Formats: sequence, structure tokens, C-alpha cells
Amino acid sequence: MTAITTLLQKPGALIECDDDPEAVFDMLCAKGWSDGFPVIPPTPERVERMLAYCDRDFDQPVIKIPPRFGAATPVRVAANAVMAGCKPEYFPLVLLALEALAEDQYNLYGTQATTHPCTPMLIFNGPVAREVGLNSGHNVMGNYFRANATIGRAVRLALVNIGAAIPGTGDMATAGTPAKFSFCVAENEESSPWEPLHVEMGYAKDTTTVTVVAAEGPHNINDHESLTPEGILRMTSGTMATTGSNNAYYAGQPVLAFGPEHAATVASKGMTKAQVKQWLFDDAVIPLSRFSEENIARRFRRRNAEQYANVPLDTPVHMWQKPDDLIIIVAGGAGKHSQYVPTFGITRAATKPLKRADGELVKSIAELKRG
Amino acid sequence: MAQLTKRGLLAAVVCSDSFMKLGKAQAKVFGVPDLPLLEIKHPLGGLNMDQVRERAAVAMPQLLKFIKTSREKTATEKQS
Repeated sequence: MTAITTLLQKPGALIECDDDPEAVFDMLCAKGWSDGFPVIPPTPERVERMLAYCDRDFDQPVIKIPPRFGAATPVRVAANAVMAGCKPEYFPLVLLALEALAEDQYNLYGTQATTHPCTPMLIFNGPVAREVGLNSGHNVMGNYFRANATIGRAVRLALVNIGAAIPGTGDMATAGTPAKFSFCVAENEESSPWEPLHVEMGYAKDTTTVTVVAAEGPHNINDHESLTPEGILRMTSGTMATTGSNNAYYAGQPVLAFGPEHAATVASKGMTKAQVKQWLFDDAVIPLSRFSEENIARRFRRRNAEQYANVPLDTPVHMWQKPDDLIIIVAGGAGKHSQYVPTFGITRAATKPLKRADGELVKSIAELKRG
Repeated sequence: MAQLTKRGLLAAVVCSDSFMKLGKAQAKVFGVPDLPLLEIKHPLGGLNMDQVRERAAVAMPQLLKFIKTSREKTATEKQS
């Protein structure tokens, strides 16, 4: 493993700056290495400390991040994790998320450069997520919790600083989304009436995983009245069925994050996740007539001719392609709210388990501590 | 297009003005900094046929000029 002192001797690895947080922030912003918020200055000492739980070679890229295809080596990612405010024990989860984004089906190149307002939504499952303090309860998609805020932010900073997802030149998002600062959650497995996401995908419950989704910001589903599974699901499907969603035209796997109370009601008569997905697939539909004439002519009748060329205008349009494409998790605290997260169109979610460099699954973050 | 250029074929990209910075940056990233970008007015989506023809009329002379220049350059190289 290359020592960090050796890596820092490479040309351009170190930049001199006044020893003052404001001066460092000004310098980083001037260079475009920023998300616009203040950062912790990534000094060599702090970067070295950030790597305390990294068992990978410090200079071997875990991913080349488009559109620049910059090499995301652990040492570079660590600098971004310092800037984001991560604790060193968060760092393996930052690397894991980047490894998941490297999977072809996620389409990182497309999602980085698109005009669509998508960003990686990181969904963590398993024991290490709890161990490092990732929040899965109240305000799970909001502010306050350091692990959620800084792991998501570190990934975003790497996408900008290493991948050059710079607005107007590498990130062409028309408007973007506040979720581009950080969008990182843990599933509330303890409050779920169903198997958690990673178990549904074939991993053991004690495996730690990340699932990455090219997500828009979440849309709230408020239902304080429904007492039955069908009632909650009817309100949910109504929130999902919108004409401006990429998922109505393309592929993609939107996320439904049930609040624990809604989840309990939906599962109260024994509905499985698969049954919930089928129910919502069938009910979250819009008649073709609700789209504009131009969209009916171009997107449906011409582009999706096999399905829509000659169908009547009352034909239902589903909000995603196959029932099982919907990702269901349970997240959040008490209250009668759930969240629907639409996605970019040409993308699939990717899941990765947390492993040591030797390929063994990590059961506790302490296993990765060096020295 | 970068791959076609590297294989010695003539290749160009039609690019709307709002995306020129991205196009130029990506041409550099893919190792073909001189890849011709045929600049047309943004947007590309939501156009009627007349607007499509307008953009084609802007792109076509740029394409013909690129082909002509490339052929002349090739001929010069062969002579020398």
C-alpha cells in the first residue's frame, strides 16, 4: 500500500493556502471545488486520519467518475470526505456508495450530465449503517444527522470535484434539486413489517449494503385518514401518477419509502411487498388522454409504438415498467406520512455489500481499522 | 464520435449552443479535442418541423465546410 506521504509528494497533490478556514473556503470555491457550503480544510493530517478505516490501496481508483472520468482514488475521496465533515468510520460507506455508482446499470455518465434533476439517493441497510449512526427515523430525508448529511455530501463532492459535474459544463441539470447537497438514508428495518430491502435482494440480514438510485427529491404522501391497506395505497398511487415523471415514459426504479405507521396499516391484513407492488402498479395509472397531444403523438404513439401506436385514449399508462421495478423501503419516524421518489429514466438501481479488500463481508466497522 | 474519429473516419457532433461547453469538455476527455461541433440554436426538444429545418440549415453548411476542409487536408498530406 502506498503511504500517504508518498502520494502527497506527487505534483499538484498539495496546495498552499493561508491557515484560515475562510481563506481555504474562498480558495476552494474559486477553484470550483465546492458545493457552495463551508468545508473542513482537507489538510494532509486530516486526510490521513480519514483513511484510518480504509483497507484499499490509497492510490487505486474505485471508480472513474464521469463526465471527466477522474480517478476516484481513496486518497482523493478522503479529501472530499474531510471537506464534507465525515468521521473516519464513515469513509468505507462513502467508498461503497461510489463503487455502487460505478455499476453500468446505474448510468452515472447519463445521470451526471443530464438536464433531469437526479442525484444519487443512497439507501443503507444492515448492521454497519446502525453502528456508524445513520438515521432511519424522524427526519430521515432531512437535516441534522451527521452520518446521513456528510456521507451523502462526500459522495456529491466527489462527483463534482473528481468527476467535474459542474453546473453548465458537466452537470446540465435545468434546475437541479436540493437533494444534490446530500440524499442518504438508512432503512428503518426495526419498524418494517416486511423483509428489508437488502434481504429482498438476496443478502443476509447481517450484511451491510448500499443501494443507489438516480433519484429526484422526495414527494410527500400525506394520509391521516385511511384505516385500511387499500386506503393508504389509493392515496399513494394518486401521488405517484403524474404526467411529468420520467418513469411514465422510460425505465427506472422509483422508490416508495413508507413511514412506519403507513407500512403497518398496509401490512395489517397480510399483504406482502410483492402484492403491494402489484396493487400500486395497477392503480398508479394515468389515461393516455391526460398527456398533451404532442406527447401522445411523439412519446407514446411513435417512440413506444409497440405498446401505444393504435390504442384508445382511455388506455392506462403505468408509472413504471414492471410491478417489481418499484423499490419499497420503510423509513422515518412516527406520523402519517410516506415519501415517493421518482427517478431518472435510463437507469437501474445498484446494490453493493460492504466487503473487506480480501472479499470477506464486514460485520463491524472496527474490522476495517488499520494499525 | 470520438471512437470514429480515432479510427480515421470523418465524424462531427451536432450540438446546441447551451451544450457547447459540455461538448468541448467531453471532446477533450475522450482525446479528440478538435472534434467538430456543429453549433445550432437551443433547444432540440419540442420543435415543429419548420424549426427543425431551420436548425438543419444552420448545421449543414458547417458539416459541408468540415468535409471540404478535411479532404483538402488529406490531399495536402498525401502530396507531401
